[in-house]
Formats: sequence, structure tokens, C-alpha cells
Amino acid sequence: MHEFLTAGIIGISLGAQYALLALGFTLIFGILGVINFAHGGFYALGGYVAYAAVSQAGLPFPLAVLVAVVATAALGALYERFLIERLVDDHLATMMLTLGLYLVISTSLLAVFGPQSPEFSFPVKGTLRAGTLYLPLENLVVLAVCAAAIGGLWLLIYRTDFGRALRALADDRRVAMTQGMRPGLLFPLAFGLATGLAGLTGALVTPILALSPSAGDPVLVTSFLTVILGGLGSIAGAVVAALIVGFVEAYASVYLGGSTGALILFVTVLVILLARPTGLFGREIRGA
Amino acid sequence: MPGIAKRSLAASAFALGLVLAGGAAAQTACEIKLGALGPMSGPAAQWGLAMLGAAELAAAEANARGGLQVGSQRCSVSVLSYDTRYTAEGAAAGVNNLASQGVRFIIGPVGSPEVTGAKPVATRHRLLMFANSYAKNAIGPQWPLVFHLGPGPSEWAPPIVRLAKEQFGMRSVAIVAPNDQGGTDIASVDAEVYRRHGIAATEEYYQRGTTNFAPIVTRLLASRPDVVDTASSPPGDAGLIIRQLRQAGFTGPIGRLGGPGTEEIIRVAGGIDVVRNFYWYEVAPTEDPRVRAISDEYRRLLNREPPENTNMWLWVVGARMTLRAIERAGTATDTGRVAAALRELPVEDPNLGRGAWTGQSFFGINQELSLPFGMGMILDGRMVGVRRIDVSPQ
Amino acid sequence: MEARSPSRWGAQEWAAVAIFAAALAVPWATDDLLVHSIVNRVLIGAMAALSVFIMLRMDLLSFATPAFMALGGYAAVLLAMNGVTEVLLIVPASFLVPALVALPLGALVLRLRGVYFVLVTFVLTEILQLVLFMTPRLTGGADGLAGFPAPTLLGTELSDARSVLALAAAMALLAAAVTAALTAHFRQHFAAIEENEVLAESLGLVVWRYKAMGFVVAAGIAGMAGFSLGNMLLTVHPTSFGAQQAVDTIVYAIVGGRGSILGPVAGAALLVTASDFLGNQGQYAPGLFGLLLILVTLVARGGIAGAVAALARRRRAPRVAAAPAAAPGAARGGA
Repeated sequence: MHEFLTAGIIGISLGAQYALLALGFTLIFGILGVINFAHGGFYALGGYVAYAAVSQAGLPFPLAVLVAVVATAALGALYERFLIERLVDDHLATMMLTLGLYLVISTSLLAVFGPQSPEFSFPVKGTLRAGTLYLPLENLVVLAVCAAAIGGLWLLIYRTDFGRALRALADDRRVAMTQGMRPGLLFPLAFGLATGLAGLTGALVTPILALSPSAGDPVLVTSFLTVILGGLGSIAGAVVAALIVGFVEAYASVYLGGSTGALILFVTVLVILLARPTGLFGREIRGA
Repeated sequence: MPGIAKRSLAASAFALGLVLAGGAAAQTACEIKLGALGPMSGPAAQWGLAMLGAAELAAAEANARGGLQVGSQRCSVSVLSYDTRYTAEGAAAGVNNLASQGVRFIIGPVGSPEVTGAKPVATRHRLLMFANSYAKNAIGPQWPLVFHLGPGPSEWAPPIVRLAKEQFGMRSVAIVAPNDQGGTDIASVDAEVYRRHGIAATEEYYQRGTTNFAPIVTRLLASRPDVVDTASSPPGDAGLIIRQLRQAGFTGPIGRLGGPGTEEIIRVAGGIDVVRNFYWYEVAPTEDPRVRAISDEYRRLLNREPPENTNMWLWVVGARMTLRAIERAGTATDTGRVAAALRELPVEDPNLGRGAWTGQSFFGINQELSLPFGMGMILDGRMVGVRRIDVSPQ
Repeated sequence: MEARSPSRWGAQEWAAVAIFAAALAVPWATDDLLVHSIVNRVLIGAMAALSVFIMLRMDLLSFATPAFMALGGYAAVLLAMNGVTEVLLIVPASFLVPALVALPLGALVLRLRGVYFVLVTFVLTEILQLVLFMTPRLTGGADGLAGFPAPTLLGTELSDARSVLALAAAMALLAAAVTAALTAHFRQHFAAIEENEVLAESLGLVVWRYKAMGFVVAAGIAGMAGFSLGNMLLTVHPTSFGAQQAVDTIVYAIVGGRGSILGPVAGAALLVTASDFLGNQGQYAPGLFGLLLILVTLVARGGIAGAVAALARRRRAPRVAAAPAAAPGAARGGA
């Protein structure tokens, strides 16, 4: 029973992080139809920017997180505006552009910061305990920020003109453009919003876990799994799927062990992808 | 380069002198090329750079003595290196690359995949290789030219487990390691050694690339072990595992029968207070002043800072012994004869002290160069230090 | 002209086959081990990239090449360990095993298009890694398989450096010939699928049949590349068949040029050699690959082969603008 509850708490913590990552990933796909291979790169970059802001510039941690968000969002928006934008309708080209960017980002981080994990720790320490159950405070902070970010994003997409414009572009670009939506402005903003979310996750989570130039590799895989499960392009699906992935990972690892847990997750996703390519909750947003 | 040219000139003059003195047939200057093979870049770069540093130091020492006396020739020693990128293909390509430049003796590589990739190709070219990996099949009777810069876990784990048991009196241990060769090959040997000392051992393997160990930690603690051993988990992973173990309320000691990286582990775990009680295998007696003198020797001969990784202190012995075996065999090309001479060499190093050839019982071949190593300990958040442990011949 | 004899090979197909035929002579032309090593790795990289190339002809980007390489490599090595060392048996086996696996798999995954297909192939490679780790009895698990007997040709052992390279060249030649035959024979079908699959289907083209054919052959060629890699390293090891290798082979095919069979060959030759010359700065190779990928996507959609072909065309016939594109599809989007 104790393990069961502990695994549940871990599952929620994992799910919240995955949701933040998957939201950005699914947003880019839903609106631009682009698979962002560089998503993990922005996560790692967010972590390193925050680290540099704390250790080099001496900024307080919350401000460092903000710097990381702005930096990753700006890089994402610029990359979209000047490179991806030109080929946005060619899915192969955009995959190559983002894959190339990922390789460049991780190599640059390696060149600048070296291969070893730097000392970068979360400023909030301590652990809440109730009997044998425990919840590290740092996880609680991350959970709160994730919830706030998800809520904010939801408001942005469903309650603002900006969000309506984005959704219109995602539904049918041609119709949206005849109604005066400007992809030239909205696409970079959407891309920047998504990469900023990845940067935020990186800045928040890497001090709890570990920061290394290749920290983005597993992030990409998890984002893939989550959005396949939730349906590519579906925002609600991404959140629910992220929680499912978090719980499956936690329970499978606790009860079945590392490799088996991972294998179950991959096979589940494979089956869903084959049986229901639109995901558990997805609607066919794009013809891909 | 000018230095090498000058030495070559000196060697030529020496050879000429031999001829004039009515010696053997005229010989031109000879150069022995040592290959250093390992990851020179990326996350495992420290290991490869230590490999390279060891080869460079041994070569510089030999050249400072005026070169090696190989048969009737006086030979200078140079070092070539190749970056394996910590992969099997990289290592195989590296052996080809080095062999094509005339290398007959290789120090390295380090990781299990690398050694797996390098060994067959080295055998194909009949190169003598001094590998360092903890793979269960790192050396064997079918690879007579492959030596092991040991000792491996089968040698160093028993004394450390004995001392740890004296200190902490544990009765059960949970061992955690990644689910690839670098993890399983060590963790399974560790588990065996713990069991032989009457300590119940469970093994737990995680997917390489795992970023959050909270579920693994829950699973580890389900069996309520007295000790958790992080075996050969990469230092970053091990640090995080320790941090999450402490968050989960585990208060017992932590072991690390795997590899170095204690500083990075403490950094990632969040300080020495978090680590609290810790014992680990250290590749060399790092606090022995005679061992530390190797770094001073490096600075003196090569005029720059030695590589950070303490493995260099161990590996330099392998490079020195290879060069001595070449002199003893009187050939720099017939690797079979050099290997035979190497097997006969007593293990006695001016810095590390006395060691032994081991490996017969574990690998089936007595080609593991076992040298004194260390056991490090942190007690109640205080660094106690590294004690020297000597090896006994088999 | 092409309409009358659709399966006729063009100059590029002949050139590709000629290049690999010439590679057969390398082991006898030089004894330089460095040349041997680079040529051997180029041959393997080119074979793997040919597999990616076939899939790209159908507008499918595959990250599953390493998975099929592993199937072929492990199958061949397991045969050798069980006493079957005859090259004339194990090379076909390294082709057939992944091809046979690809047949039912294709029925499942080829229904997916575009990014969904990309994701499923990505997941396949991850699953294969886990399966290897979890079957230590059969595949050696994390240790891989090593120490298997050298392949033999009609009783003669092919174990020295020269025959290893010759075998690699022969397999690459075979792979190039099969690729050329397939892509030339189905040129119009593949082009129609690449152009607009739905339209092709509505016009009566039995799309799935051609896609299945392409997928199966691509898997087989990857399998031969896997055996060639195992034969060079004398070991098959999980680290040789991961996501990193998938990215590398895709980069070879794209940077070399996906419009021509010469593209994967050029890409593998250039990039394998380039990363060798990086020497002890190997950590920067991915960054170089990434930059090239971005550059090629933005300014030279036909890759190296496309750029060279365009240059040659311009020089040869500056006035004929309507020459059939040497790099079909490279100039056009596909979503």
C-alpha cells in the first residue's frame, strides 16, 4: 500500500513535467504542422541559461528561470520566423531544420559548458512527510508552476483573441488567412510560446534532476510518446496523456523494474499509434 | 617535432657508432609508436584523456632516458591518439586508424562497448592491447595479445565488501546500475561478492537515459536494504539516486563498487551532508604521496597540467610495463614475443608499488595487471579518506 | 522516352553501381589500413543510407533503419555461431530476416503517413534496443555477440583485412543494384506516391503494394548493412543500432541528396570521412551534421548530388530548361 501511494505521488510529479513539455510540442504541431525535433534542445538550453544566470550573473533563481524562458522563446520565435517559415508546408524540410537545430544546440552546449553535470540545485529544500509517504518541496513548487502554466496556456488559447487566431490557423489556414490572420506574425509567436514552455520546464526541472548537454534526448522521446498517446495537436489530450505516461512510468518502474516499464510504455504507444493514430483523445486536426 | 628530429638524429648517430664499432648490421633510427585509444571527447572524455596522459608520460620518461634499447637499436617513443566517442565502431575504426600509422601497441580503450569493438580488430592486426573495462569478457584465452589494466571487480570487490561490513555491519544490499553492459557486468559481480560475504543482495537495472529515479528508488527500498550500492552508474545518475534516496527517507550507508567520480556525485547529490555515509572503490591509493608524485612527474616532463582523472595514475603502469616488455623482448614489431615478455615481467612499479598478474580464475587467463587500489570512505558527512589496499598474486 | 521503358536504368543508377564495383578493387589497390577502414565504413554507411533513400522515394522518413540493421546483423551472426558460415547463405539471410519481419510490420505501419510514420519508426528503434537488452540468452543482451567464426566463401575463410573489405564492397554493390532496380522499375509509381498518394490511389494505383515492396527491400538492405557492420567490428552490439545511428543515416541520405541514388553514396562518403578527420574533436561531429542538414534544407534541396547534377546540366545545356529534374521531389513540398 505504501509503495502504491508513493508511486502515485511520483506519477503526478512526473506527469506535470511531461505535460508542460508535451503542451509545447503539441502546440507547434497543432498550429504549424511541424514536428519539433529540437524540443529537447530547448529544454536543455533552458536549464543551462538558468544555470548560467545563477552562477555567472548571480541572479536569484526565479529571475533566472524567467531569463531562460525569454531566451528560449526568443530563439524559437526567431528560428521559426527566419528559417522554418520559409518551408513551413514541407514536413520533411521542417523536420530536417529542427533536427539540425537540435544537433547544433546540444553540440554548442557541450562546447561551452563541457560534458560534466554542473552544480545547479533548486533553492527550495526540504521534504514533506506523512508517515512513510514523502513529497520533496521542490517537486511541490514545480507542480504548482506546471499547473499555473497549463492553466495560463488554456486561458490564452481559449479565452483570448490571440488564441482564437491560433486555433483558426490550426483549423484551416486558408480560411483563417482570408479573414485577416497573419501567420507571418502568429507562427513565430506560437513557436516561441512552445519553446519557451520547454525552456521553462528545463529551467525548473534540471536543478532537481541533472543538467547535461544531452539532457534533451529523453525529453524528446517522452514528448513523442505523450503526444502520440494524447493525439498530435490536441491540448487537452496532451495533459491527460502526460499524466497517464507519468503514472505508467511510476507504477511500471516500481512494480516491474526499469527496462520492463519502459518496454510496456513503448509497446502501448505503438499499439495506440497503429490502432488509433489520432490518439486516445485526439481529433484529426491535420492531415499530416 | 624538432625535439623528435633531434632525438632521431642522436639515435642515428648512436646506431652509426655501433656499426663503426663492428656491431651488427647498420640500422637507421627507430621510433616506437604507442596508441592511446579512448573517448577523447564527450561525456566520457576524462577517461580517454587519462589514457592519453598515461601513454604520454611513459613515453616522455623513456625518451628522457635516451629512448628504449630494442635489440641493437635505440628507439624513441611517440604517442598517437584516437577518439572512440565511447562506441564500438569508433574503437574498431580507431584500431584501424592507429595500425595504419604504424602503431603496434595500444593503451586502451576504456568502456565495455569500446573494448568489445576494438579487441577483434586488434587481434586481426596482431596488435598488443592494454584494455581497461570491467566487462566480464574483457580478456580471455582466445585473445592472447589483450591485457587488462586491472584489477577488475572480481579482485577489488571482496576486500572492500569485507571492510565495509566491518564498518557498517550490513546484512542486505540493493545494487542499482544501468541496464547496459557497463552496468550489468559490474553489478552482477558485485552482487556475487556481497552474497559470498553473507550479505543478501538484490540487483536493480534502470534504463540508460532515465532522468528521474524516484520510482526506481521506491522499488529499491521495497526490500528494505541496509545499504544501497550504485555500482557503475554514471556519477551524475549516482548523485541523483543518492539525493532521491535521502528524500525518500533512506538513512543507511551508500556504497559504490563501480568507479570513481566521487566529487561529481557529491556535487549532484547536494553536498557531503546528504551523502553522509559512503564507501567506494577508488582506482588508485590517491592519498599515497608516492602515487601522487606521478602528477608532479607529468608536470616536470611534459610541462603542463596532468589530466584530472586519477585513472592516469593506474594506467601509466600499464604503459611503462609495455615499454619494458618491448625492451626485454628485443623487438618492437613482434607483438607475440612482447606479450610473452610482458607475462614474465614482475609487477613492481616505482610509484604504485608491488602488484600481481591475476585473472586466471575469473577470465581464464592470467593477463590482468592488478595494482594496489583504494577504498574511500565518508562517515557521518566527514571525508575519512582513501586507504590503500594491496593485491595478492593468484 | 522513360514511359516506354520504365525500368530502364538512368546514368545515375549505372554510376552508383560502377562506384561500388570500383570499390571492390580497393582492397587490392592499397594496403593502407586507414583507407581500408574509411572505405569500409563508407560502404556500410552508404548501404544504410540507401535504405533510407528507398523510403524517401515514397515520401516516408524512417528512423527504423538501425532496427532492421540489427535484425540482419544478429541473424547472420547467430547463423555463423551455429556453424553456418557460408557467405552465400548468410548474406541472403541477413537480407531475408529483416525483410520477412518488415512484411507483416509494413501491413501495420504503412497505413500511417507523414509524421505518424516518422514517430512509429522512431518508437520501433527504441523498442528494439529494449528487446535486445531483455533477451540476453539469444542476443547476448547488453554485451552483444562477439567471437563468432569468420564467414567463408565456398570453404575459404574470409578473415583477413582484405577479404573483409571485399565482402563489404560486394554487399554494397548488391545493395546498390537492388536499390537501382527497385527505384528504376517503380520510378513512376514511387513518384506518384510521393506526389500525392490519395490521388495515385484514386487513379487506380495499388499504392500499398508498392509501398510494401519498398519497405521490405529497404529493410533487407539495412539488414545487409547490419551484417557488414558486424563483420567489420567482429561483433554485434546494441550500441551500434540506436537512435544516434538513425539520425546519422538520415543525415547521409539528406545531405547527399534524396533525389538521386548517388546522393546517399556521396553523403556517406563525405560525412564518414569528415568525421574521421575531426579526430580527437569527434564530439563536434553532430554539430557539423546539424549545420549541414540546415544548410542543405535551406539552399540545396537536392543535396550534394542534386547540386552537382544541376551544375552539370547548366554547363551542358544552358538553354534547355525543361530537362527532367534530376532531383524529383526535392524542389517541392510534401505535406
